[in-house]
Amino acid sequence: MVESLSLILRGLQTTVSLTIFSLTLALVVSFLAGLGRLSKNSAVRAAAIAYIEFFRGTSLFVQLFWAFYVLPFMGVELSPMQAAVLALGFNYGAYGAEVVRASINAIGRDQWEGCVALNLNYFQRLRHVIIPQAIVIMLPPFGNLAVTLLKSTAIASLIALPDLTYQAQLVRNQTGQTLLPFAIIMIIYFAISTFLKSGIQLAERRLGADRTQPARSA
Amino acid sequence: MTKPIIRIKNISKSFGAVRVLDGLSIDVMPKERLALIGPSGSGKTTILRILMTLERINDGHIEIDGEQLCHMERAGQLVPADEKHLANARQKIGMVFQHFNLFPHKSVIDNITLAPILTKGVAKPIAEKRAMELLDMVGLADKAKGMPVELSGGQKQRVAIARALALQPKVMLFDEVTSALDPELVEEVLSVLWQLSTETDMTMLLVTHEMGFAHDFAHRVLFFDRGKIVEEGKPGDIFRQPKHERTQAFLKKILAAGHRI
Repeated sequence: MVESLSLILRGLQTTVSLTIFSLTLALVVSFLAGLGRLSKNSAVRAAAIAYIEFFRGTSLFVQLFWAFYVLPFMGVELSPMQAAVLALGFNYGAYGAEVVRASINAIGRDQWEGCVALNLNYFQRLRHVIIPQAIVIMLPPFGNLAVTLLKSTAIASLIALPDLTYQAQLVRNQTGQTLLPFAIIMIIYFAISTFLKSGIQLAERRLGADRTQPARSA
Repeated sequence: MTKPIIRIKNISKSFGAVRVLDGLSIDVMPKERLALIGPSGSGKTTILRILMTLERINDGHIEIDGEQLCHMERAGQLVPADEKHLANARQKIGMVFQHFNLFPHKSVIDNITLAPILTKGVAKPIAEKRAMELLDMVGLADKAKGMPVELSGGQKQRVAIARALALQPKVMLFDEVTSALDPELVEEVLSVLWQLSTETDMTMLLVTHEMGFAHDFAHRVLFFDRGKIVEEGKPGDIFRQPKHERTQAFLKKILAAGHRI
């Protein structure tokens, strides 16, 4: 029992690391591709659209298998952790890019025009005016994506990454117990996702949606 | 002989099939205050938006302070301006919008100091000192730390004016700055504009439906209809003895709607 638990807890560490790394990569990619889709440069826009549609249009499983089993044939040898971070990060980054794009589009034209009248350059407009307001809109859908990503990390067990799910199977094979290990990891997944969700909710309250009502009322 | 600070030469602008401005030319002298009046859709707001580089023109040229606004010289030829040229040209122009366009996530004082700090490299303490002077001028020094959402429309618009002034433009554009306000808040904004007219010698272009204010404020009034200047002249002449029948009809309608001259 104690040994089973310690095996599963080792898996917890892997799942948490995988989640953090994948989320970080997904976040970076979300902004790059989301802003790329809004670029005035048509080549950048086309590249962003191609990336987003490709990763949203193909299976996460297949992407993971590509990263782990196919890339070595192209001379790119990745560890299971690297392959999983890459597949999860780019897959969720594609969905996140759409969140970034939609949130930035939700900021009114008046805000952009206010920036032009103050002669802010494109980067300053985004950095100081548009993104700080768009982030408030991004947070709830980002929260959903983060929780979904956490749950998807379980597929990394298919490429033998010793995460929670993999370790639970290990315990099952070693002890013959099925209910206990799978019940434990289910509770753990639920706990982490609850933790993630409350973190996002805290951030939402901190950024205070009530303070950033559109300045339109007369 | 001083040169015009704004030279609009034969510009045209269409939105799709709709021709909003049609071969328009205006010269504005330094320190001049111009009121642009006319029915909605007559193109007067579009002129301000073009001067602020928010719209591109289809034809013609504009010079601000002797330099091309929408074009730049390349190999001896005038080509459409790139972003760098526009950014340079914009330094001379400020604009106040009908809907204020304040940044709701920034405090009142941060709204005002943002652009001087970012675009002119003004040190924060200096920018804040200057912002406080401007807030004092518009009567809102006590709201410096507040958020825009806590302000009334009239207060928001006064902050927006202070924000535009902080960049010390040579030309200020006021686009229907009281049209979105409740009637009882109009006066406080107009009195700030009045103060500017008496205390500074900035060049100002005012698009407005406040005919009484335009009369007192402007040196010259342009009456627009369908993208063209129908009539222009001294406020007293335009408002008391309009020559063109369209001007007469417009003023009559405005008066009937309860606006005073």
